[in-house]
Amino acid sequence: MSDSGPESDLRIGSPWPRRLLVSHGVLVYLFLYLPIAVLVVFSFNAARQTAVWTGFTLDWYRRLLRDGVLLGAVRNSLEVAAVTTVVATVLGTLAAFALGTLGRSPAGFRGQRATQALLMLPVVIPEIVLGAALVTFFGVSHLRLSLATVIIAHVVFSISYVAIVVRARLAGLDPALEEAARDLGAGAFDTFRRVTLPLLLPGVVASALLVFTLSIDDYVITSFVAGVGATTLPLHIYSMLKVGVTPEVNAVSTLLLAVTVVLIVAAQRLLQEDRRTT
Amino acid sequence: MKRTVWILLAIGIMVTACRGGKDRAAEAAERKVNIYIWTNYLPQDVIADFEKRTGIKATVDTYDSNETLLAKMQSGVADYDIIVPSDYTLKVMVPQGLVVELDRARLTGIDNLDPRFLNQKYDPGNRHSIPYLWGTTGIGYDKKKIKEPVDTWRVMFEQRYAGRILMLDDVRDAFGVALRLMGKSINETDPAVLRQAADMLKKQKALVKTYDSSDFANLLAAGDVDIAQGYSGEIAEVVAHAPNRLAYVVPKEGGTLWIDNLAVPKTARHLDAAYEFLQYVMQPEIAARIVNGVHYAGANKAAWERIDPKIRANAAIYPPPDVLARCELIEDLGPTTQLLDELWTEVKAQ
Repeated sequence: MSDSGPESDLRIGSPWPRRLLVSHGVLVYLFLYLPIAVLVVFSFNAARQTAVWTGFTLDWYRRLLRDGVLLGAVRNSLEVAAVTTVVATVLGTLAAFALGTLGRSPAGFRGQRATQALLMLPVVIPEIVLGAALVTFFGVSHLRLSLATVIIAHVVFSISYVAIVVRARLAGLDPALEEAARDLGAGAFDTFRRVTLPLLLPGVVASALLVFTLSIDDYVITSFVAGVGATTLPLHIYSMLKVGVTPEVNAVSTLLLAVTVVLIVAAQRLLQEDRRTT
Repeated sequence: MKRTVWILLAIGIMVTACRGGKDRAAEAAERKVNIYIWTNYLPQDVIADFEKRTGIKATVDTYDSNETLLAKMQSGVADYDIIVPSDYTLKVMVPQGLVVELDRARLTGIDNLDPRFLNQKYDPGNRHSIPYLWGTTGIGYDKKKIKEPVDTWRVMFEQRYAGRILMLDDVRDAFGVALRLMGKSINETDPAVLRQAADMLKKQKALVKTYDSSDFANLLAAGDVDIAQGYSGEIAEVVAHAPNRLAYVVPKEGGTLWIDNLAVPKTARHLDAAYEFLQYVMQPEIAARIVNGVHYAGANKAAWERIDPKIRANAAIYPPPDVLARCELIEDLGPTTQLLDELWTEVKAQ
């Protein structure tokens, strides 16, 4: 994070604007992270009720590792998120590429506006409508609900996010770079592989991370389309509410959080190294 | 983008084609059973034992509300062989043809079940279902804070407990309290009586801290409220963790009774395995193991002797027979439902 810009402006004159900004910033971060901090702290709480602190324990983590049903749900969630991320990122990137480059010619391609609008639609359609629509679609096509239908559903709503993020990145690219590659003798595929794709990569990775997180915590759509043996973690946690949330849920959330943070940090490192070498 | 749609469609069609290949008879005999059941309704060790004894592979998924179950079944593509709808949900599912008519000849062990839970209005003659677990709606309370003995719904209308009372956020359960106090049935349809009940609830509202149907047991356990209307199973769970502080009682006026039933959906593919599962859970020894594992009351009479004496003596799980006799099942009220919803909105909006 770079803070040289606004800071240097604010140093002139009274210190008040700066103080206000800093305290505002602190408050925003507290607002964002306090609930998560509470969740993590209470995953080490000895008491079964989640509201009162009675002492430190690792019991909930131990219990978690023995809870076959919960681990099964975690496995389902990871499987769905992984497959969804790969499929949606590839399809979404290609869609963004098609819209971005084919549409660059003055006339665009036939039906470009409609395609674009259709691509945005899943982002604005309420989840519950999309869920109901998908389950009806599966019903009409006699596709039995299973883990596969969950993956298909997640891919459907994820493609749009990928396309939007990658398109934004694509719009910021200088077309001259691709033209230069073509001038220097690269074919269309080589240009895409060695010039466009590397330049798009930060956008692609960012959207892949976005898709992974969207997929892993989706409840509404998943609850409609999940079939036999396809209980994901959010579904399982929600159904656990019936007998009360135990710190076991906090523990599994904390682990999930840790994995997500590690993934994001790793991705950022990779991107930075990538930038340094090129 | 169009192409991706076509690819997805093609994948869909291929998957369907591959799966559609098996004929129904072969599927019916397949050693698999897919169970869709409430959370904490089937102990892990019972599932393992069932698989070991029968060689049938059981897959268990859970749901949290009757509405979720209903939506899944109405899609027509859910792949479950055993489901566990509550009384009133079964009443919706039977006319819609969502569950099969059970073959009596294959229900070995049905004589073990308690006649009190058989042949109910929601499924006369048990043609589509057999009762599994049941419970009541009563009062969970904090013994340390509420000094007087709690045995009547009247405590929930006492001025001195203002701001410490929780009511279920459910029109039928809330009106049930008022109606029972008036000596009426919870399935009363007389508009004048219902208006009187609504007036009681409106007066009560000033005392109620919150209306909540999902987190009531936790709110009671955490000390946010001291008296909570609630379902026996969830309250029994928190009482078990703090028996010196918390208690559950079914008031002497009686409350609502609910029964969750085993049924086989129309779309079930593994019928043989489904019947084997039904026979398995109707065995007294297994039924007792389930009750001992989940802490809900079971509908199997022959299992009684094998149930943990502590559970048998727990009035929160098994209320005394005279109290149970005053509990009623919620019935569909037909056109009166609309009036009731309007009155409930008035209460909540006040």
